[in-house]
Amino acid sequence: MFKKILIANRGEIAIRVARACKELGISVVGVFSDADRDSYHLHYMDEALWIGDSSPQASYLNISKIIDVAKQAGAEAIHPGYGFLAENSNFAQACEESNIAFIGPNSKALSLVGDKVASRNTVQKVGVSIIPGMQGVGRDTKHFKEMANKVGYPVIVKASMGGGGKGMRVVYSEKELEASIAAGQREAKSAFGDASVYLEKYVEKPRHIEFQVLRDHHGNVVHLFERECSIQRRHQKIIEETPSPAIDEALRNEMGEAAKKVIEAAEYTNAGTVEFLLDGQRNYYFLEVNARVQVEHPITEMVTGVDLVRQQILIAAGKKISNKQKDFAQRGHAIEARIYAEDPENDFMPSPGRILYLNEASGPGIRVDSGIYQGWNVPPHYDPILSKLVVWAENREIAIRRISNALSNYVILGIKTNVGFLKRIMETKKFREGDYHTHFIDENESALIRQKEKIRNVLIAAALLASEKNSIMTQTGYATSAQVETTPWQELGGWEICKH
Amino acid sequence: MEYRFDHLNETFTIHLTKEKNGFRARFRDDEYRISDLEIQENMISFTIHGERFAIYFARDKDKNYMSIDGELFTIKPAQISKSGARGISTQSDNSVASPMPGLLVKLPVAAGDKVEAGTTLAIVEAMKMQNELRAPSDGVVKKVNFKEGDQVDAFVAIVELEPPASEK
Repeated sequence: MFKKILIANRGEIAIRVARACKELGISVVGVFSDADRDSYHLHYMDEALWIGDSSPQASYLNISKIIDVAKQAGAEAIHPGYGFLAENSNFAQACEESNIAFIGPNSKALSLVGDKVASRNTVQKVGVSIIPGMQGVGRDTKHFKEMANKVGYPVIVKASMGGGGKGMRVVYSEKELEASIAAGQREAKSAFGDASVYLEKYVEKPRHIEFQVLRDHHGNVVHLFERECSIQRRHQKIIEETPSPAIDEALRNEMGEAAKKVIEAAEYTNAGTVEFLLDGQRNYYFLEVNARVQVEHPITEMVTGVDLVRQQILIAAGKKISNKQKDFAQRGHAIEARIYAEDPENDFMPSPGRILYLNEASGPGIRVDSGIYQGWNVPPHYDPILSKLVVWAENREIAIRRISNALSNYVILGIKTNVGFLKRIMETKKFREGDYHTHFIDENESALIRQKEKIRNVLIAAALLASEKNSIMTQTGYATSAQVETTPWQELGGWEICKH
Repeated sequence: MEYRFDHLNETFTIHLTKEKNGFRARFRDDEYRISDLEIQENMISFTIHGERFAIYFARDKDKNYMSIDGELFTIKPAQISKSGARGISTQSDNSVASPMPGLLVKLPVAAGDKVEAGTTLAIVEAMKMQNELRAPSDGVVKKVNFKEGDQVDAFVAIVELEPPASEK
């Protein structure tokens, strides 16, 4: 077993990984950029090393610097978390060349699953369906037109090296096709440095269902059931749940076995996630393999009782998966809500800044994977994820009520967050009935608008606070500013008060 | 007493009267009886017509951050200027500002440049998201308040414009 692991990440996931390491008796080395000198994850590390200035390129994406500090600290393995270098095969290879274990898939499998076209070809060979479309990069306009006519409109143009919605264009008719290809190519070029795009059938009202898989270096492979991740904004997941309300036992087993086949065909090792799109007729199509620990991994942990990060470390250390498929079961229901520093009332604009007050949710069945603290200044340089609120309950209905209450009591003041928006989603009829798909947010815009009545209570509260401050002033005559600062409500000075 | 607050682009007025067992508040055309007021550090709770509300709050300079049932509100004491104009608009007064704080990654214009409506004046990046700020109308760049690589706050003018020469 490793004695020391370097965690090449920041925020909540660095903390999550550090916890698993410590439980295994492994010491942890953290890294930080200039912007993260005061970040919460450093409190969980046995030692912390500086890796560069605030830009991600200079720090968390800086392969040679991270390898250098890992060597300097004597780390035997690196856990990349998610994002940054997690799915970078050059990084995995650099680790392999430096005799450092990369806690993730081998670099060969990583580059295979990272190439969408190559991975689709591999998957098809083992009999798992993919969305009908091109087998490779589109050659010319004629090729795109022929394929679009063959699979039928609507079609979607996608970046070959892409992800996160970049370079994607939905096309409803032939007359939009050429312009969409050009736009997709431009976006792909600027986002990934590669303008290659391909075309496939566009599945309408799809549900995004993914399967968690583990495969060790001895050929043992198990799946840990599904996660439904159809609630997305701008192709980013914001709420995930398991079990999915859309699949039954038979379909679950079939999709789980398909996921295992995909992982075996890619000769993949460690934890991975196989993503599928599910249409309204129980057809499922392979999308891609996410070769990392997923942001939403906790919901799988809640229903299966398996610590996925611990499993990642054990597999990387060469251990065998000791349990068989039949040993795993889903118990109860889990939901995750991602808390982001963004403003849902202003087009989800990022909202970095200082956290003036923090009260994180707690209680039975509630887990918070958080990377923040009161007084911390959320830097503008990185992903806006602040924390993840995860609940477990006996069934879906109770889980929804539980997360809804927990969101009410998850208070982050000083910056904008999506907490209220997440709660509004939980309260929609469609979500409660499990009747949703990936366009849920766009299609339910009106149901997700903030209720106007809430402002009344806020204004009354503000007036009461100002009035109480005023009455204390009257009681004590002209209080000095030092005296005024002695109690919190006395600090609420500066109100515009008009006597009538 | 009357209290006036700004929230987003609106000004709201609350009339508050102290009574024997609490307060009477007037908001728009309705009156509310408020009782059992309790104020703790960062939390205020009270009862309106038998219903209990708890609101978390924190203050920074003139801004009050408040949270009720998970919903966040930022309110300020009402600003009343001589001209009657309030708040900061990103486009109305011939200046262009970012709707979010972030890093100024591109600033392709300089003072004296002629720009057409829709020309990119600046690109601000925060949390992996890029925001292009475009000219709201044809004009001439009067002043540039920052340089590439600067950190900018939300709603602070980055580029100031003036109408094209012919319209002066």
